[in-house]
Amino acid sequence: MSDDIIVLKDLSKIYGNGVQVRALDGINLNIETGEFVAIVGPSGSGKSTLLNMIGLLDTPSSGQIFLKGIDVSRASAGERAHLRNRELGFVFQYHHLIPEFSALENVMMPMLIAGKEKAEAQETARELLVSVGLEERLSNKPNQLSGGQNQRVAVARALANGPSIVIGDELTGNLDTKSSDLIYNLLRELNRKINQTFILVTHDMTLAEKTDRILRIVDGKLVCELRRKGDLFIASEACELGEDGGKIKRS
Amino acid sequence: MFELEVARKHIISDPKMVLFTVLAVALAIGVIVVMMGINEGYKTDLVNSLVENNPHLTISPKENEDYITLYRTLSAMVWSYPQVDAVSPRLLGKAGAKHKDKVRGVNFIGADPLREDSLMKVQKDMVWGNYSDLVFKKRAAVIGTKLADELELRPGQQFTLALRNKSVSLKVVGLIRTGTGSDETLVYIPLDLAQELSDQPDVVSQVAVRLSDIYAAPAIASSLNSRFRYRAESWQEQNKDVLQVMDTQKVILYIFYGLIFVIAGFGVANTMIMTVTRRTKEIGILIAMGATRRSIVKIFLTESLILGPPAAFFGCVLAYATARLIEAYPVQLPSDVYMVSRLTVLLTPQTFALAVVFALAVNLLAGLYPAYKASRLDPVEAIASE
Ligand SMILES: Nc1ncnc2c1ncn2[C@@H]1O[C@H](COP(=O)(O)OP(=O)(O)OP(=O)(O)O)[C@@H](O)[C@H]1O
Ligand SMILES: [Mg+2]
Repeated sequence: MSDDIIVLKDLSKIYGNGVQVRALDGINLNIETGEFVAIVGPSGSGKSTLLNMIGLLDTPSSGQIFLKGIDVSRASAGERAHLRNRELGFVFQYHHLIPEFSALENVMMPMLIAGKEKAEAQETARELLVSVGLEERLSNKPNQLSGGQNQRVAVARALANGPSIVIGDELTGNLDTKSSDLIYNLLRELNRKINQTFILVTHDMTLAEKTDRILRIVDGKLVCELRRKGDLFIASEACELGEDGGKIKRS
Repeated sequence: MFELEVARKHIISDPKMVLFTVLAVALAIGVIVVMMGINEGYKTDLVNSLVENNPHLTISPKENEDYITLYRTLSAMVWSYPQVDAVSPRLLGKAGAKHKDKVRGVNFIGADPLREDSLMKVQKDMVWGNYSDLVFKKRAAVIGTKLADELELRPGQQFTLALRNKSVSLKVVGLIRTGTGSDETLVYIPLDLAQELSDQPDVVSQVAVRLSDIYAAPAIASSLNSRFRYRAESWQEQNKDVLQVMDTQKVILYIFYGLIFVIAGFGVANTMIMTVTRRTKEIGILIAMGATRRSIVKIFLTESLILGPPAAFFGCVLAYATARLIEAYPVQLPSDVYMVSRLTVLLTPQTFALAVVFALAVNLLAGLYPAYKASRLDPVEAIASE
């Protein structure tokens, strides 16, 4: 339990005042430090909603979220902003880089928000961009980079403050297999090297099957969980296999 | 201060927004500074005209008395105030002036020419002749140019001045043009002649004073009033009504400035709201990266405020150019209505300082709402927005 970096207790999110949408329905989930998790499920099932809760961008209607043992569902706006800056890194489906800023400046931004010295931020940002293979593109603006390159800049930006958790919502959704693999390998390497926790929402089962743990969400409920055991996945009781392609074996 | 960095980037990358914001505020400042300059110029001209054409202080007889008998003693007392530049005992009155078949009612001032000249700078306004000739010529007068025209009098000619049953024949030794209404009625004569004509030997009807500091007049007047039973009145007191109109006009002007302020403010707020709307997604990302709401407010307020000084600068340049233009093509005013004959624009350092304050205030106030709006955006919705 002490190794759990994220604990969700009976988490629910209801949208709307008139017609209510139950986007999340009593989610209980523990994620350990250093886990590489994929969240899958049909469109509209609540994956993004769950990710936004974990990323402290949205607040639950009921239930609790613990981040490193802190109950962040009760944290002040300032504390949440601080946690987003230091502990969390986001990558979205579209890179969402700031168009007027160069790759280097975009990656520097989280560090400047954290109050780091400009020179120091610049050096760290440069190193990060080198590590994602963009050492030649430091001063390019987003519109001077390809989709895959932009997404790599976005990954570098998410890693800028050395967050303990990196979350990605369809971060490879717009990329070809080659770029997608490149980014996955990058994340995986970091995960192995510095034990960073990764949570990725994806439609791409090939990517999901490279992770350590697959969570399947349907209608706001966690219906199935698959854990890696060597080259195989061990499924929980509720899983209806076959629907996702049948590559997963029940063990 | 990453906020400053972001605001700077926004400004550099959006020249259109910068242009419109700066232009809106600069125009408003230009209009306000010119209006202030005209008002200030008019006020200065008016005060100048008041203090040039009237004594700064007049001392009238005690209550229930028509004349001041001990005017020499009183004059000596008045001289004890250090700000006093000139003292002239005068005997004023109304009389009829006649030349050939023309008759006009006139206001005569009987005074010692030398004293009166240092009081009213009579010689400066004279278009012909010497005021000091009255010292030697007993039966002589200096009259207003318009009066001379109406009486068809030419310099050197004789006319008749009549008071009740007395009349004297006087030679015109000088013509005076002050530019005010008194040019139609004014007749300067020697003091003893006025006393003789009024049948009042060795008295005056007032002692008039010129001061080196015109704004010391009320204090000296009240000091004199507490010492003597003569009634002393400052030029401000005498022109109370005119000065009051100036104050009322000032209130109206401030309302006008306020309206311009609001219009410019809406202009700035509008462009700022557009900026925030266009950057909704970016704001969402900044929040997701851990920027606090306060930082978001700071970014957009900084952005708005940074544009204040350039707007103030261009507004001042615009105002200065306009002022120059107005002065280059002088606007004539009917002096009987406005008391001054020409529109002048007086731009003081204070006016420009006020313009800078104004620009910053407009940009600050107009930036508040958009900045607040930006800081309240829901990051999830903002990021998803297109
Ligand atoms: N702001 C909102 N207001 C109302 N309903 C919302 C809002 N955001 C999401 N929903 C609803 O909540 C449910 C879950 O949405 P969510 O975006 O989490 O789905 P998702 O699993 O990410 O889908 P996708 O795979 O298409 O991205 C959906 O039914 C959606 O319509
Ligand atoms: Mg989604």
